[in-house]
Amino acid sequence: MSQSGVQVDNDCIKQFNELKLGKTLKYIIYKLSDDFGNIVVEETSSDKDWDNFREKLVNAKTKNKQGKEGKGPRYAVYDFEYDLASGEGKRNKITFIAWSPDDAAIGPKMTYASSKDALKRSLNGIAAEVQANDEDDIEYNTILSKFNKGA
Amino acid sequence: MASQTLNSSMQPTDVYGGDEVSAIILDPGYSSVRAGFAGEDTPKSFVNSHYGVNESGTVFGDDAIHNPLAALDIRNPMSKEGIVEDWDTATRLWEYSITSRLTSFKQADPRTNGLNDDLKDMDVEMDGIEEGEKPLEEHPLLMTETAWNSPKNREKSIEIAMESWGCPAFWLARNSVMAAFGAGKATALVVDVGASTASVLAIHDGLILKKSVQKSHLAGNWLSSQLRTLFETSEPKVELVPHYMIMSKSPVDAGAPAQATYRKYEKSPTDSFRALEEERVLTEFKESVVQVWPGPGRLNSNNQMGMTNLEYAKGQPGRVFEMPDGYNQMWGVERFSVSEGMFDEKAALPIPGEQPITKAQTIPEMVKASVNAVDMDLRSQLLQNIVVTGGTTLINGFTDRLNNELVAMYPSARIKIQAAGLTAERRFGSWIGGSILGSLGTFHQMWISRKEYEEFGANVVEKRCK
Repeated sequence: MSQSGVQVDNDCIKQFNELKLGKTLKYIIYKLSDDFGNIVVEETSSDKDWDNFREKLVNAKTKNKQGKEGKGPRYAVYDFEYDLASGEGKRNKITFIAWSPDDAAIGPKMTYASSKDALKRSLNGIAAEVQANDEDDIEYNTILSKFNKGA
Repeated sequence: MASQTLNSSMQPTDVYGGDEVSAIILDPGYSSVRAGFAGEDTPKSFVNSHYGVNESGTVFGDDAIHNPLAALDIRNPMSKEGIVEDWDTATRLWEYSITSRLTSFKQADPRTNGLNDDLKDMDVEMDGIEEGEKPLEEHPLLMTETAWNSPKNREKSIEIAMESWGCPAFWLARNSVMAAFGAGKATALVVDVGASTASVLAIHDGLILKKSVQKSHLAGNWLSSQLRTLFETSEPKVELVPHYMIMSKSPVDAGAPAQATYRKYEKSPTDSFRALEEERVLTEFKESVVQVWPGPGRLNSNNQMGMTNLEYAKGQPGRVFEMPDGYNQMWGVERFSVSEGMFDEKAALPIPGEQPITKAQTIPEMVKASVNAVDMDLRSQLLQNIVVTGGTTLINGFTDRLNNELVAMYPSARIKIQAAGLTAERRFGSWIGGSILGSLGTFHQMWISRKEYEEFGANVVEKRCK
């Protein structure tokens, strides 16, 4: 259970299973509905270009209480594929990303952070999790170095 | 009362379970109690936790406790660790902080709301007035607590909310978790330096890792003690004379003795009253003069230019502070040396009657101990997600210094500190977090309802509020 009472839309799980089993999707971006009541799917894609995906997070918007638009947090699941540092071939890691830019307003940041567990717990089969708060945190190499460190 | 029907487009947006009543957020600390309505940006009510007692009764709030004529004994219902010691008074203090400023229900009795200084017939008919109507019957209450609050105290909180105040619903939130969420992080290392306590603890997926909790007294009040030692040992000695003792003063040159006439009181105010008033002067001094040496290195370590940082800091511009009696002087390197003990135990000034502080009590060592207490895999993530909160961290240079200390302590790790830029968010971080959470439409599923309380008893709070 999250600590905010926010619910997870069924489609979130459906799309996740599609990504996990169907192997056609590369990533899913989730967001909170405008009334902050549910977590919903914002977008799914099979685009393999990390930087396009990253761009989408960086440009994500959300409305504050007064209806003014500002930077917005998001959740995402990315089927991260990488070469092992040892050169022994490729690996896949289904990675959960909690994106909450430091310069977003406190309201959305609070709501996303306190609701994250609701989504993460309903998705079965996540191999890694990244908590990202600035643009460096979602550079391809930042995430890659994380995975290769332990290997 | 004539009521107008609202059509759906006119419905208020801040609803609680379809009702138009908003929740109240109560964030009690050692130095102040913060209270206000969920959904608002800052707490409407900000009340000093100290209260005054004299033969005619008890008074609360800044309007009443600073009266030198009232022969008040100044006390605090909280222990030095931010935990309630005196429940009866704490309950009344919190009730005062809610009823005196939050206007949705009846104002407190004018004799007790602190607006009238005549203390003669205080408290006489309190019980009669309260009867039949409990102050929070229409408002769910979200209260914050420290990570080290005891199970017994948590149960006591819900009992007060339900029994004494008649709340329809209740929730208890950890203040450090609120601070982490407010920074957009479900996993974080929270460094919280308030008035009485400095603490460091790890949060993973919104839950506090109990074994990581570290705390010490090197916080705002300790810094005040350092200032007292500084004043005592200055040459000439700096007299700490609070405002209420000054009748008039004439301007004097820097360093020259004060030229002031002092007030005489028939019944001289108590020592505890004087201490409270001295503290106000010290707070002003902390806010306007004190700095933390930002690093790199400690104040007494050598820098690249072949001198100590202390010598370098001596060359930095000083700041003038005028005491209430008119005495004023330029404070130079002392601005840095009084706070140095928070980071370097050897630099702490001795406090009469207290043990010297230990290395383990300093902030960087608490971070180390906290990080070492958690799983290896989590450590690097925590060091990248440090959240700094609490009023004392607003002292200039604090965050820079912490960063420099940790970079030196963990040369191969990535250190990232997040500290809210807005002063209000740093001082009221946990209140604001509670305010946002309590105003979410979905939060009505979280509240412990009166029915649940009646069915399961006070220990429902242990099961529900982790």
